[in-house]
Amino acid sequence: MATARISNRIRRLRFDHGEMTQEELAERAGCTRQTIIALEQGKYVPSIELAFKIALAFGVTLEEVFQYEE
Amino acid sequence: MTLSQKTAWAQLGIFGALVISWVVLFSMKGTIFYWEDETIKMTFYWLCAAAFAVLVIMNVTAGILKNRLKAVADERDKSIFRKASLWATGVSYSVVAVLLLVLAIIYMDSGSETIPVYFPLFIVIVGGVSLLLTQAITALLFYGRKVNYGDS
Repeated sequence: MATARISNRIRRLRFDHGEMTQEELAERAGCTRQTIIALEQGKYVPSIELAFKIALAFGVTLEEVFQYEE
Repeated sequence: MTLSQKTAWAQLGIFGALVISWVVLFSMKGTIFYWEDETIKMTFYWLCAAAFAVLVIMNVTAGILKNRLKAVADERDKSIFRKASLWATGVSYSVVAVLLLVLAIIYMDSGSETIPVYFPLFIVIVGGVSLLLTQAITALLFYGRKVNYGDS
């Protein structure tokens, strides 16, 4: 069975949004800064709710933040 | 470091210190049958009670902070602790099963009168401590590894 992987562009999107800090994004998404760090390092795959909140914090669609690769 | 991560470290510290104090106590007596000496027996119980009391106070304080402060713990912390609790349950079940097996062997070989009445309580305490220690250790390990939401 092929392994699936969910990647994200959070670091890139933070840069594009005027170097938004991890703290600021965490506050907007309602999670801890440590979770943002883990997401950027690919060490955490979030719930669909948190994924939407992060996308909303950047004002983009879910697919622009998270990518599913098989 | 999140609040949950700090509580995991504190839990490890509390119960690690408790196990070390057991080793010191048992070394003083020269056996794990701490109940044979009244002073050591009471010291053992007081140490256990103190450790569990500190844990309760710490968790109540952490619970209040989590409710009052925004985003001090989130879904990742919960996922990690859920996963750690499952591991801890498995480990403590195994520890209790092994100790019960020892109890059963003593019972079959030498009869019930050779089993001290304190032994079943000792099994319960060791089971509880192994659960809390494993939970703290596995939680701290999972903080450094990849976790998926809803993992178990």
